[in-house]
Amino acid sequence: MSQTTLVATTGRPTGSAAARRLRAEGHIPGVLYGRGMTPISLTVERRELRVALSGPAGVNTVLSLEVDGAKYPAVVKELQRHPIRRTVNHIDFLQVNMNEEITVSVPVRLEGEAKAVLSEGGLVDPAVDTIEVLTTPNNMPNEFVIDITDMQVGDVVRLADVPMPSGVTATGDPEMPVVTVILTRAAAAANAGDDEAAEGEGSEAAEGE
Amino acid sequence: MLMPRKVAHRKHQRGRLNGVAKGGTDLAFGEYGIQALEPGWLTARQIEAARIAMTRAIKRGGKVWINVFPDKPVTKKPAETRMGSGKGNPEFWVAVVKPGRVLFELSFPNEETAKAAMNKAIQKLPIKARIITREETY
Repeated sequence: MSQTTLVATTGRPTGSAAARRLRAEGHIPGVLYGRGMTPISLTVERRELRVALSGPAGVNTVLSLEVDGAKYPAVVKELQRHPIRRTVNHIDFLQVNMNEEITVSVPVRLEGEAKAVLSEGGLVDPAVDTIEVLTTPNNMPNEFVIDITDMQVGDVVRLADVPMPSGVTATGDPEMPVVTVILTRAAAAANAGDDEAAEGEGSEAAEGE
Repeated sequence: MLMPRKVAHRKHQRGRLNGVAKGGTDLAFGEYGIQALEPGWLTARQIEAARIAMTRAIKRGGKVWINVFPDKPVTKKPAETRMGSGKGNPEFWVAVVKPGRVLFELSFPNEETAKAAMNKAIQKLPIKARIITREETY
């Protein structure tokens, strides 16, 4: 788990025009909410947010949000982006209790090269980008690394096959596919063509004998 | 080519293309995508041409998703016809695209080949577009 301090400013004007002006000045409008607290409208500096979320945990970094002198442990609940510029338009922070379980989406990273799959023209297809888990902020994993080196055509890595660290529980169906190996139609047709050719050669050889 | 099987109304009004895409602006399936940077109509032929260019470039071992569907009929009046006498006949189908919309997605093990294939597909489109990946910055 990584914890980073981020300073936020309250008392921002609301409304789309005001938000647009804030973004032009390098601030990102946002909101902080959580159980038992009144939501607070705030702004964070774009540059500071970038630094805070560029750590190993990425968007799942547990932040210590400094609002008017008070510190709130928080995670990023939602991040809205501009569809073209891809800059952050608005950010939702969720205040968390460090001992209480929360649901977070942890990214999946594939490691290695499935040579057996590539040689047959197949494709290792990640069925999901993230896995939703129930965990305390202290135990939040940065990512799930799945080794695909030994995968063969037709193999499926299911949620139950992904090793979870202690204190982390996956919320999804254990049978849910996480990584699949697919054989594209073109590759399947090419493989079938090779097989036919091999059979043809075999029969010719048999006839020759 | 892509076209609807049946429609409620044979002829549509043209509509406006103001603003940016409200949804479909992120990658949902593949590792790479083609994102529109301009508004426009993509005809079923253009979508098919882009798909063929991409699939030919990657040869095998990849997967392509088409995220837009040409569901809007475009009518045309026959050549050398006097104005009036009602709206023309439906001639082709288009997908209405606004800036930001992800048009195609691609999964392929080799990034260089994937990007080359997507560049070939972009050449077939009537609007400016760019290649996007899953990596995001803040």
